[in-house]
Amino acid sequence: MNVYTEAERLADLGQFLATDPIRRVQTGVSSHVVIHRQGKSAVRYFPPAHPDGQVRRPLFISMPLINTWTVFDLLPGMSVIEKLVAHGVPVYLLDWGRPGPEDVEVTLGELVDDLLPRALRRSARHARQHGHLAADELPDALGYCVGGSFLSISLARNPGLARRMALLAAPIDFHASGRLSSWADKEGFPVDDIVDGFGNFPKAMMKDAFAWLRPMGQLSKWKTIYDKIDQDGFPTTWAAMEQWNGDGVDFPGEAYRAYIKGCYFENALVGGGWVLDGRPVDLKKGTIPAHAFAAKADHICPPAAAFGLSKAWGGPVSTEVVSGGHVGVCIGKSFPARLLAWIDA
Amino acid sequence: MSQPDAAFPDFKGMSEELYQQWEKSMTAWWDQVLESPSFLDATNKNVSGMARMRARYEEQVDEQLMKLHLPTRGDMTRLARIATLLEKRLLEMEDTILDLRDGMAARDAAIARLEKETIQARIEAAEARLELRARLDELAVRLDAGAEGAEPAAKANKPSPKKS
Repeated sequence: MNVYTEAERLADLGQFLATDPIRRVQTGVSSHVVIHRQGKSAVRYFPPAHPDGQVRRPLFISMPLINTWTVFDLLPGMSVIEKLVAHGVPVYLLDWGRPGPEDVEVTLGELVDDLLPRALRRSARHARQHGHLAADELPDALGYCVGGSFLSISLARNPGLARRMALLAAPIDFHASGRLSSWADKEGFPVDDIVDGFGNFPKAMMKDAFAWLRPMGQLSKWKTIYDKIDQDGFPTTWAAMEQWNGDGVDFPGEAYRAYIKGCYFENALVGGGWVLDGRPVDLKKGTIPAHAFAAKADHICPPAAAFGLSKAWGGPVSTEVVSGGHVGVCIGKSFPARLLAWIDA
Repeated sequence: MSQPDAAFPDFKGMSEELYQQWEKSMTAWWDQVLESPSFLDATNKNVSGMARMRARYEEQVDEQLMKLHLPTRGDMTRLARIATLLEKRLLEMEDTILDLRDGMAARDAAIARLEKETIQARIEAAEARLELRARLDELAVRLDAGAEGAEPAAKANKPSPKKS
């Protein structure tokens, strides 16, 4: 009878949760070394591991600075990085670290004109030393979410750092990013009060904001684990996602102020007219080939927001929709396969 | 897992359907609330109020710490900022050194390549000279052999003096 089955299911769920799975699950376990540090940030190098020893062009990845990098290496078998290195791609991942109160004055200009270009240059140098790149070659670059928005600004303002650029779920046309853009409205959103009062934009506030984008999502999350507790491997994936979701990072205050005003208030990556640290932000100056991946069911960066790159970028732009949501795209099969195709193209 | 029994109603299916309908209606309601200007205005005012309150609180804490001659959060932040900027300058110097090192390595490689090419050219020239020398020697031998062969013949062809 179903009633008995539901009791069993409930018992299984209770047993699972009693083991404290969200705290205990191990994420980000792919073998790597840190090759460069600046402040709280680190460049993590994942060496290629193709079974035949093949080595492809290195890939530099700019992660979002509002979460930890482990979403790209969630669990064995559900890791973008694992698939890349198995394909022979040396991966250099920029982990922005965890800013503290002492980082409140870090500016957006420092992030996109100093920290990110240096991380890219050091990665390329490391790749040349290890024979992954010839002296006159450049790596490819990938940016995810806000890490992609930053990467596009950085590569447009600092040419000669990458051969090609790919963005995954990275908002460019911020006024097309649905509910978030209506919340971060110029007339109402008190960004100055927030930065003046809290310093860094608090991770708890950011987590709440993302949760309120889909209010019923919190309930359906628990319903999903209840429904799928007996599915092989699902509880571990659920726990890993919960761990990552709860492991937020503060956004450095002054950088947040500039980001909200430039990107959300003015939509300046598309509209122009944004001057950052005395230099205009003009994506038209980016001339390398660019590719925009958008997740089909993304409620944070809908395809329209990601494909804003087509009208903003100076070089040739191609676009592609992959299955999944804003975060689910990282653990699904569609995106890694399409990314490998882009790398081999 | 047990199969649905025909004698009992499908409670699970019914509750699932009920849940779906409830979720749909709640989502529609929340959508209205979260897009409503009055709700957003109130939320923004609430956040702004909390932030200002936090700022006042920090000011009060700083004031008390200063009275106790203790460093404030602002002091610590300033120190950390100085350390960050110093680290940045160090990294810029390191960048310059690395660029210089890479440049020197490239120059050394170019010099080594030039030296190798020069030595190779000298070896080839020496080998050519040796080859020429060998050919000259060979010619000399052949010439000598020719001269030696020609001498008896000349002697043989030479007319004998008339006998008196």
